[in-house]
Formats: sequence, structure tokens, C-alpha cells
Amino acid sequence: MTEAVFANGLSKRYGERLALDRLSLSLSPGSVFGFLGPNGAGKTTTVKLLTGLLTPTEGACSVFGLDPCREPEKVHALCGVVTESARLYPQLSGLENLSFFGELCGLPRAAARERAESLLRRLGLWEAASLAAGAYSTGMAQRLSLARALMGEPKLLFLDEPTSGLDPESAQAVNELIAAQAAREGVTVFLCTHQLRYAQDLCSGYGILHHGTLLALGDLSSLAEQAGCHSHAVFRLGQGEVLPGFSLQEGFFRRPLRSEEEMPALVREAVQAGLHVYEARLERPALEDVYFRFVGHEEGGRADDTSA
Amino acid sequence: MTLPLDSREWAIVRKDLKNVWHTKMARLTILLVPILLCLVLPAVYVTVIALVPEEELAADAREIAALFAGGEADTVRRLLFSMIGQMLGPLFFLMVPLLSSTTAAACSFVGEREHGTMETLLLAPVTLRQIFRAKVAACFLLSAVVELVSLLFFSAVMAVGSIVLEAPFYFNGNWAVLVFLLCPLFTVLGIIFMVLVSGKSKNAMEAMQTSSYLVLPVILLFVGQFSGLFPAGPLYLLIAAALAAAADAVLLRLASRAFTPEKLLR
Repeated sequence: MTEAVFANGLSKRYGERLALDRLSLSLSPGSVFGFLGPNGAGKTTTVKLLTGLLTPTEGACSVFGLDPCREPEKVHALCGVVTESARLYPQLSGLENLSFFGELCGLPRAAARERAESLLRRLGLWEAASLAAGAYSTGMAQRLSLARALMGEPKLLFLDEPTSGLDPESAQAVNELIAAQAAREGVTVFLCTHQLRYAQDLCSGYGILHHGTLLALGDLSSLAEQAGCHSHAVFRLGQGEVLPGFSLQEGFFRRPLRSEEEMPALVREAVQAGLHVYEARLERPALEDVYFRFVGHEEGGRADDTSA
Repeated sequence: MTLPLDSREWAIVRKDLKNVWHTKMARLTILLVPILLCLVLPAVYVTVIALVPEEELAADAREIAALFAGGEADTVRRLLFSMIGQMLGPLFFLMVPLLSSTTAAACSFVGEREHGTMETLLLAPVTLRQIFRAKVAACFLLSAVVELVSLLFFSAVMAVGSIVLEAPFYFNGNWAVLVFLLCPLFTVLGIIFMVLVSGKSKNAMEAMQTSSYLVLPVILLFVGQFSGLFPAGPLYLLIAAALAAAADAVLLRLASRAFTPEKLLR
């Protein structure tokens, strides 16, 4: 099956600065991929390379088998793209903006308007449909951008910080819409975000990018393993009781696990030892822990290099 | 570049025309330039010629009129009327496509970059060639309408002047070359010039100001006539049209090469 997104040794250099260094990744159709990294890591550059807005200095990439540099319009027919710098026409209304982009997606005028109206309703922007886009608040403008990206019913969504600068309500509305798209069968989502908790709920695979270099790639459990982040067994016991080999932290006994398979035996042993087990749980490493382990290591490594 | 345009290109044309109309500075320029240059100024000039007694017309005016209008007119009034029809009128008339096309192109190309909408447009499922064609077509169409309106304004003033002063109507071979060849070529020149400077201008206003560089060749075109160095005739204007066509062809090639996402979003 053709990969939804493929990159092989993809690099981009701006003068002396290497914005992206030999990125290689492959996403299958229908996957929801979280592309994580601090500001300036190269996430936006990657999205722009994959959508044909930039030409790679080295390497190659494809979207559903199409080269974004050679056939950008065919790639765009399959993709919806939201980036912070891609804005909507401030003098046109929300409805006019969406209808226009609907027509560019090949819809007849009436059908484009119909889809625009439907998306404006779904995104809670119907009341502002005839308002000039320039008068929209940041949250409304971001929702309108997302609606614009959805006008062509894309098979692949590139979302670059879609909730950046939004208030919690707007961020939630955008996140819900992305989740709804991700749940649609066959829709691939390439999500660049700082919202690690949200990414953990939504994404099935992750890439961690730092200073243009891909530090890690995989699902959460494989990333946790690579980062040396272990799952923990956590117990809350009766007053004065102790569990040998466990450390006590804020009233809970914790112990790292080599494998999650150890957990049932630990629970059984605690009960057989006559301990009062009020609570026993398996604490998996969060994406946040894994991310900071990778990025922290990298920063530490750089600091060491600098001091050396 | 061949017309007609497809439905996506027409959508861009409609959007660009709407955008120009919504930009106050562009709207004012496009409305005021033809009104001032092809209606108000010629009307004032013709009114003065018609109302001021012939003996009060300055001797200089008589000499200038006699020098440039050749043997087409026989009285000072008619000579001066002929001067507006054959010398000042064409100069004003050529300014119209230049100013309207550069204003429209400034909104269409530089304005998109200024508002961050060029990236959005480049992310749509249309080719760069379609975007370029549609944008050039939008600017050209707008300029063509402005030119047509200007021609109607000027013709109306000159028709009244012809009746009042009993002078021949202004339209002749020179004007045919001007309207059907030079104006379209200068319109394209204005648009392409703006595409080329769009990467160097921070905003549409700055880009519009650079269009003044284009007014210079238009003035030069008529300096020959004013100085008496070149004869005013269709051949002279045809040579100017050929030069403009050559400039259009070269600049069009350069502009379409410069029209790449990386250069547009720089």
C-alpha cells in the first residue's frame, strides 16, 4: 500500500542554518501522527516540504506516492493544511472565504457554498458567516482555517500548531474537530503540536524533532522503552504497612517494572502477604515524560558539548 | 498565456476583483484616475478653449498649438483643441492602464503576501501557472474596463468640444494604435512589473509607489513629440508598441520564472 507520507533523508538548509537534517519517516494511511518538538525544531519546515511550499536541499518526500515539488496541486487535492502563516482573506467574509476555496477544490459554486455553510455550522461560526474574516477573533480565525482545510474533504490533514494562541474553549472546539476527523476511516492526520497530553490521547505514533534532527520515532511504548521510561507499580496500603523493594512517595509505594507482565504477580503477592491493598495501579509513562527525557537529554548533550 | 480560463481560474479572478474593490486605496485610485485624467482635465481644458476670447489666448499658446497640431486645424481654438486630442489626451490616456494595472497588481500580488494569504492560495489544488494566469487576467480585465470607461469619458468630452468648436473628432490612426495596441501592452507591462517588484516590496502601498518608474517611459514616448524630434504618427506609435511587446515578452518570461512558492513566500 502507498504510504500516506514518506520522507527519506529530507533536509532543508537556509544559508548556513540547517533547518531539517536527514528526516526519514513513513506513515501509513489512516494513522494519526504527532510531530513533537520545541519552537524552531523544524516542524513547520517539514510540513512546508511535504506540501511543496519548499524545495528540499537534499533527500526526497512523497504524499500518497506524489512528489510535492513536481505535482503540488495533486498533493493539495488530497491534503488539507493548516499552518500559522496561512491566513484567510481579511476583507472577505467567512462564507466567501470558504466558498472560494471550495471552488478551488473543484466544487461547483452552489456546492462550494453549501459545504461552506455546513462547515461553518459545525464549527460554531454560522453567526459570523457574513462577517469579514479580518474581524474574527484568533480562535474564530483558527476554526475558519480548519474549515478551509476541510473544504476538499482531504485524505490527509497537516495541522501545524492548530491550537496555538487559542483560549481553552476555542482550543477544545478545534481539538474536538480534529478528533472527529482522525476518527473518520482512512483519514491520516499529521499533527504538529505542543499539547502533549492532547497528542497522547489522539495520536497513535509520534516523532520527536529537535534542532532539525528526528530524535525518536514510534508509538508511545516503544518511545518509552527507547527513553528508558518504565511503567511503575503503585500501591496504597493500610496504615503502617510496607512493601519491600518499593519506595514510599506521598503515601504511595512505587516501583519501576521491567515489564507490565510483573503487575498481576505483585498484586497477588501483596494480598497473600495479608496487606490491606486499598489501591493498586499500573502507571504508564506519559508522553510528557518521554518527550522531556529525549529533549532534555539532547539539551544536556548540547550543553556538555558546549562546555567541553 | 492563452485564454479562456477554467472555473478555478475564474474563481481566483472574481476573488481578486473583489479584493481590489475592498481595498480603499486601490478603489480610490482606480475610480479617480480615469475621472481626473480623461474627464475632468480634458473638460476643463476644452471649456477654457471654448470660453476664453480668442484674442486673449496667449501668443505662446498659439505658437505651440501651431507647431504641434500641424495643418489639421485652422484657428487657435481648433489648434489648441487638436493639441489636447492628439498630444495631451494620449499621454493622459496611457497613464490610465499603467496606473490601474499596477494598482490592481499591487493588491493582487503584493497584497496577498502582505496579508499572509499567498501561502493559503499556494496550498489550494491549483497549479502555479493557473494562479499566475488568473491573477494576470484579473488585473488585465480590470484595467480593460477602466480603459473603456476612460475612452468613453474622453470621447464624450471631445465630442462636445468638436461640436462647440466645430473641429474634427479626435479619433484617428494614432488613437487606434494607442487604444488597441499600446494600452493593452502597457497594461501587461504594468502587471508584470508589479509581479517582479512584489518580492521586494513590503506592502501594496510601497509597490504602488514603485509604479511611478513606469510612468517615465510613457512621458519619454511623448517627449519626442513635444520636442519636435519625432513625428507624431501611427508608425512612431507602432514602433513604440513593438518595443513594449518585446519588453512584455522578456519580462513575462522573467516573472513566470520568479513565480515560485519559495520566492513568493520569502
